Amino acid sequence: MAQLLFNLFAVFTLVTAAGVVLNKNVVNAAMCLLLTLVGVAGLFVALNAYLLAFILLLVYAGAVVALFLFIIMLLDTKGDQRPGLKHLSLIARAIALALVAGGVVSFFVRSRLPEPSLGATPALGAELKLYAYQLFTTYLLPVQVIGFLLLIAMLGVIVLSKKFDGLEDIK
Amino acid sequence: MTPELVKVAAAASDNTWAAIFPELMLACVALLLLVAEIVLPKKFHELIPSIAIAGIVGTFIGLLINFQSAWLGAYTFSGLLHHTMGGQIMRAFFLLAALLVCLLGRVSLAKQAMPRIEFFHLVLIITAAMMLLAQSAHFVMLFVALETVTIGFYILVSYFRTSAASLEAGLKYLVMGALSSGMLLFGIVLLYGIAGNPALKAHTAESMNFGSLAIFLAANPHQFLASIGIVLVLAGVAFKIGAFPFQIWIPDVYQGAPTPVTAFLAVASKAAGFAVLLALAGKDGVFASYGWLVTPVLTVLAAATILFGNVAALTQHNVKRLIGLSGVSHAGFLLLGVIAASSPLAAMATGAVYFYLFAYLFASFAVFGVMTHLAGADDSDQDLDHYTGLAKESPFLAAILAIGLGSLAGIPPLAGFMGKLFVFIAAFQAGARWLLVIAVAGVVISIYYYFGWIKAAFFETWTSPVDSPNTPARPARTPVELAAGIALVALALGSLALGFYPGTFGQLLALR
Repeated sequence: MAQLLFNLFAVFTLVTAAGVVLNKNVVNAAMCLLLTLVGVAGLFVALNAYLLAFILLLVYAGAVVALFLFIIMLLDTKGDQRPGLKHLSLIARAIALALVAGGVVSFFVRSRLPEPSLGATPALGAELKLYAYQLFTTYLLPVQVIGFLLLIAMLGVIVLSKKFDGLEDIK
Repeated sequence: MTPELVKVAAAASDNTWAAIFPELMLACVALLLLVAEIVLPKKFHELIPSIAIAGIVGTFIGLLINFQSAWLGAYTFSGLLHHTMGGQIMRAFFLLAALLVCLLGRVSLAKQAMPRIEFFHLVLIITAAMMLLAQSAHFVMLFVALETVTIGFYILVSYFRTSAASLEAGLKYLVMGALSSGMLLFGIVLLYGIAGNPALKAHTAESMNFGSLAIFLAANPHQFLASIGIVLVLAGVAFKIGAFPFQIWIPDVYQGAPTPVTAFLAVASKAAGFAVLLALAGKDGVFASYGWLVTPVLTVLAAATILFGNVAALTQHNVKRLIGLSGVSHAGFLLLGVIAASSPLAAMATGAVYFYLFAYLFASFAVFGVMTHLAGADDSDQDLDHYTGLAKESPFLAAILAIGLGSLAGIPPLAGFMGKLFVFIAAFQAGARWLLVIAVAGVVISIYYYFGWIKAAFFETWTSPVDSPNTPARPARTPVELAAGIALVALALGSLALGFYPGTFGQLLALR
């Protein structure tokens, strides 16, 4: 049952991800992205990683995709100006297809692993309390660095978009 | 408390903040800049970049005094950081690069109506992140530090937002940077997943940790998924150093970015990539037991990078593109050093890579310093023709340019020659003979375009094009200020001194 659910979510994720790439309408592509994220969250649930699934839905599906939609509507872009995939040269297509096929085949031929027992796999970060403790003890330094990352990201938005006196922006 | 929580809480006592004092200093100075901009009245704002420069100089001196730090060889932050002599050398390298970028930034920003303070703030934060990157011993730390560096660079590259070229460069860098981060992350995740698989030998719950991962890889020397992970991680790093075929972003980004940022990208960002590469692919590195895979991959990359960089630079007329593509070829020479460093036969290879990086820093910043002074209001338009008659009008800048370019080309009495010599000797010891032949051919090609540039500065005079005789003359040259002048002289002297007497410094780098 769990295996079936996992496979179902995997196929769902792949199909919707293809929808993101192939859709000409930007809003539809963003909605496909939303579905992809829901699919990935489903995969996480199938793997007992409830916390990750929850965070993925909350942050990415909830906030980030909504932000994408806001920006698409603000910019009022037409979805049909993108060059289609048919302009790709034949050689490029052949190489890409061969690479993907080679990757999939070699994956199936050579990467067979002995089935691990689920009980032996440590469920790190599955429990919220342990996860939070780790963030503020073991991984305190990366968390602090991310604080600075967010600061410079915010600073960057201001520098690149605010109106300054005597600055002639290009139209 | 459950036993797990107790164990995790104990990890907090390993967070030794004093061990990363230089990085903390930089971060504090960066915050101080922002506070100073709010607090100080407008007329004192000119002083704020000096605070940044003073902060970097102070941190640099402190680092030199404390070079034999008490934490050498130790792991801190529960194994996130590993303090090594190599890490100390790279810390000094990044601080030096940041200092020079700030000095050039002052010259370059004076020609633009852009906000000033944020530029220096970003440079400081990026430098601190690079210093952490060079010491990281854990993929979480590595990725977070690398992303901080990369996101800072997205902003710096598009900093001159009134120029379409700068914005285009920023967008291109964003897209290519996101792609490379994606590849790197995918590789890390594959390695994490496979090393955590309980069905395999020597599996570990700490599979992001370099030490545990190295043990796992040594126990499973031909794991297919691990190989894919390793290749993806290498590809992600190859993007950062601009190795072929991941050099595609280099010419446009280097041309569009403000000149000091181009210098920062070319020198510090590349060096950060090589610090990571040495930690991963060096002979004591994480991937040491996958030499059968890593060495051929890097060999192909190095050969293609050297040839592509040099041949593509031949036809360039914009000096920023030229130096970008020549930087690609330098990445190839450095890869040669990394290949030697992955072999147990060449003991001095790691030191040779560090020496090459320092020689490259001195030479590149000398050239970029001259470029900054010659750039007009449109920073992306810097043509070889703008250099005509430089020797007559400004013999000082022309001399610095000649020393810098000569060192980059590897002309004997200069540091670049010694750097190339050390790397080539290391490669010879490691037995990479064919690669050496290609590298020497690359050096010969490079002399052509470097000397074309010197020729323009020394032997040609400005003539307007025949088809449009009314073309305005080249942009006015900026007079050299005291601080920038001292820095340029120091860089030229550094190139000369390292070339004539690499002894003490070379020993310091080689004897780690």
